[in-house]
Parts: sequence; C-alpha cells; structure tokens
Amino acid sequence: MAKQIRFTYDGVDYTLEFTRKSVERMENTGFIISEVFEKPMTLLPTLFAGAFWAHHRFVKRDVIDKIYDSLPNKQDLIGKLAEMYNEPIAALIDEPEADEGNVEWEANW
Amino acid sequence: MGSELVNPVSLPTYTEIFNRQFPFYLSIGMTYDQYWNDDCLLTKYYREAQEIRNDRKNQELWLQGLYIYDALTKVAPALHAMKPQRPSPYPEKPYPITKEAIERDKEEREKAQREKAKAVFTAWAARLNLPEEVNANE
Repeated sequence: MAKQIRFTYDGVDYTLEFTRKSVERMENTGFIISEVFEKPMTLLPTLFAGAFWAHHRFVKRDVIDKIYDSLPNKQDLIGKLAEMYNEPIAALIDEPEADEGNVEWEANW
Repeated sequence: MGSELVNPVSLPTYTEIFNRQFPFYLSIGMTYDQYWNDDCLLTKYYREAQEIRNDRKNQELWLQGLYIYDALTKVAPALHAMKPQRPSPYPEKPYPITKEAIERDKEEREKAQREKAKAVFTAWAARLNLPEEVNANE
C-alpha cells in the first residue's frame, strides 16, 4: 500500500496520498518538487494541498490552508510529504518490499 | 557571464517519465485508472507478476522443446535422417531469462567448474602417490 498521511480535522477523516495523476496535475501547474526545500514557506502549502487531490479533490483551498495552519511538526511534514510525492516515481523502479512503512499522522488538537 | 556554464540538458519531469512508462504497464495488463489513479505501488506488483508469467512461459516452451527433441531423436533413426551418432543433449533446464536467473545460472556454472577442477586435481594428486606430509621447505 502506498504511503499515506491520515488525520481527523473538524470531525472529518482525511487521507493524504499522491497518485501519478495528482503528481502530473501538480507539475502541470508549474510545481517542481526540488524547489520545496529552497522555498518551503511558499511551496509546502501547495504540496500539502496537492496531497488532497487523490481522495478529497473537492475540498476547498481555504479549508486545506486552515488544516495546514493547525498541523504541528511542519519540519517533519515537509520530509514526509516529499517522500510521498516521490513514491509514484520510485514505484516504477524499486522492487516490492514486505513493509511499505505507512505514515500514521497524529494531530494533537 | 557564467550562463554558458549552466548545463543545458534538463532532467525529465515526473510526468514525462510516467508517460514514457505508461505503454509498458498497459501491455502487462494495468488499466488507465490503476496506473494513474490507484495505489502507486501497484506497478511493482504488476512487474513482479509479469516476471512470474515470463518464467512460466519459459518453462512451458522448454517442456515443449523437450517433447519435440524426444520425438525427433526417436523418429530420426527410422528415417535415416542423421548420421549414426548421438545427438547433443537437450538442456537440463530452461534458459535463464531474468537478470537474477542469469546471475544465478552463471554462479552455478562457475561453482560446477570449480568442483570439476577440484575433482580432477584430487584424482591427479592421488595418482602421484604423494606422501601424507610434504615438507614445505623441500
């Protein structure tokens, strides 16, 4: 199973994941993953919003931004999101593994 | 100044790589939706399944070849189609077709060669009737 971030916000369960289609969609809007570490303040919210597209594509951007603002451990989040974003491409090269190491994201509010 | 030092070759985007790989995954049975919208790790398992299919097909072809070989060697004497000599033996197993199988096969052949060389040397040493303990200084 692909890497996911799961959390509940305002009584709604969210599952964040990247598919090839959502990565393609982000690249079509000009997003370049290598720039995230150079401009994290600008691009991390965009990367976070892109992770909603696979399972929650109709959630409005202002709701996503509110969720993003309320999430703790942003430094860890950037690494995990980048890992998730890279998974669709890695899965074209890597061999299957026994443990795919899903991320369980716990919000403490 | 300095702009001429920038490497003009840009890396392909993820989308370009996805598009390039897409026909292969279609050819091994993935659907459009599975490739683009489903769990991205499915591609790994489709590749593994394809290797298993290839291996099975290789086994079947080897077995079919064995039947043909058997039939030919049985019928050839009656037709006087071959000179009176033994035909070359049929391969004991299918030809390795995956990278791992090729490496494994190579290792097995090298090991067999080493064993054979060791046996030849042991037999040769036995024929020489060497004493039990040979003084290294002699």
